[in-house]
Amino acid sequence: MKIKSLAAAVFMLCTLFSGIDSARAEWNASSPVSVISREDGSGTRGAFVELFGVLGEIKGKKADLTTLDAQITNSTSVMMTTVAGDAYGIGYISLGALNDKVKAVKINGAEPSIENIQNGSYTVSRPFNIAAAPNTDNAVALDFIAFILSPKGQEVVKAGGYIPVAEQKEFSSAKPEGKAVVGGSSSVSPIMEKLAEAYKTVNPNAKLELQVTDSTTGMISALNGNYDIGLASRELKAKEIEQGLKPVVIATDGIAVIVNKNNPVENLTNEQVREIYLGNAKTWDEVSK
Amino acid sequence: MIRQAWNEKIMQGVFFVAACTSVLAVAFICIFLFHNGTLALSEIGIWDFLSGTVWRPNIEIFGIFPMIVGSVYITAGAVLTGVPIGIFTAVFMAFYCPKKLYRPLKASTDILAGIPSVVYGFFGLVVIVPLIRDLGQFLGMGGNGNNILTASILLGIMILPTVISVTEASLRAVPSLYYEGAAALGATHEQCIFKVVVPAAKSGILAAAVLGMGRAVGETMAVIMVAGNQARIPSDIFQGVRTLTANVVIEMGYAADLHRDALIATGVVLFAFILIINLFLAYLSRSK
Repeated sequence: MKIKSLAAAVFMLCTLFSGIDSARAEWNASSPVSVISREDGSGTRGAFVELFGVLGEIKGKKADLTTLDAQITNSTSVMMTTVAGDAYGIGYISLGALNDKVKAVKINGAEPSIENIQNGSYTVSRPFNIAAAPNTDNAVALDFIAFILSPKGQEVVKAGGYIPVAEQKEFSSAKPEGKAVVGGSSSVSPIMEKLAEAYKTVNPNAKLELQVTDSTTGMISALNGNYDIGLASRELKAKEIEQGLKPVVIATDGIAVIVNKNNPVENLTNEQVREIYLGNAKTWDEVSK
Repeated sequence: MIRQAWNEKIMQGVFFVAACTSVLAVAFICIFLFHNGTLALSEIGIWDFLSGTVWRPNIEIFGIFPMIVGSVYITAGAVLTGVPIGIFTAVFMAFYCPKKLYRPLKASTDILAGIPSVVYGFFGLVVIVPLIRDLGQFLGMGGNGNNILTASILLGIMILPTVISVTEASLRAVPSLYYEGAAALGATHEQCIFKVVVPAAKSGILAAAVLGMGRAVGETMAVIMVAGNQARIPSDIFQGVRTLTANVVIEMGYAADLHRDALIATGVVLFAFILIINLFLAYLSRSK
């Protein structure tokens, strides 16, 4: 009796799973696009909607009109895992985080790469900003900022997969002693870590402490003096500049639009991406129409 | 003699202070939440905030009704999947389990309770999401697997330890006379358990379900990773949903000004949910 019921249960599970498995069929262009977006207020999302024009007017105010049907995540890793597993998914991430588990599509025929961003053919990019605490006299912090903007610092930026700034100033360290606290955006932190390491070889007297939080915390903490240097992966808000923060661009980061590897789509136009994120193109054959 | 009395007094004071910590913590959290939350509530309007179906913080439209619906759906889903399994497990452990099997079973439910929720979330994202995605496509419902069903299953697993341990304790608290009496009247093992002992432990089992509910409402990390987090009212269980907790965590890092206050007000609503659940629990234990 027991064995029979057990066998029946196993059999049912097997048929269920094999049935499900056969559903995992070939690419079907009439399937709905699963749109994945970052959360409201994220630096990556802000730059993305601005660059693709996923904007509109509601009650006379300029608004981010990303479709409410879009799945929302607050992490790059969840975004990539979801797109890697979902044949009909589309998302966007920092170019520096791109790997071969997902496919980055060309935008208007240009491949997302450092060269294409520099020569202007790939236009989806955003600045990484830092801001020193207003009127700071922390010699280490000021010296470190000068280092970041020097050719040596910008070499580190380039090696990290980001686009260096055009205007670089020669610099030799005054080797001040002391400590500086650097903190903010988790998107900027990886490159900041490498910069801090490189700075240590230039000025072994200084101690840099890196705290990973987010853009807004970075700016607030720079304002109230908890951080000597705050990091932001977005443009500074008018209010933050009003309160005395001066943004300094230290690098440019590309944003890659990613799809599943089984997706035959190789190229999307600005307009197509916009239609997808506005929720107007709901299936993949509507997109390529 | 006198010194001993002093010592006792001092230690009494220490214990009193220790006992006050949790009361003070609750009091401070209440003050903080309601002070900051009411600011946003008065600016947005309580009714607009609670019943508004559109959440677009960048143009200052704050309606959390979709998130309330989301929390209710996912909690109900977790109770539906987790509570029956938990109760049956507890019945098995209390009455059917061979001695050899008991220890590993008990140990594994304890471990289940100790796994960090972000690990559950990652497990859900990598294992359950693809299964549900395939199931959805098989049934023609579509969706990409990050939906109410996935979150309910995952949360159902997460509340198992709470449900099992509380149910088992309440089953064991039923005097053995009940079982023996039923058996003496000629009832079978199954009849004794399901017709006599389980009904006798009713209020304890209900308390287990409510405790599990509390855990499900408050869960954040795992839900964020598998629920899809769309801030709109879903039309079926293969659509994603955003819970109150997810709303706070996802946007807190970037929020400023009124947006930030609105998130704290979301916390107030969540707090009210938990209070209601706790009051219900207190009512249950009193009516026992």
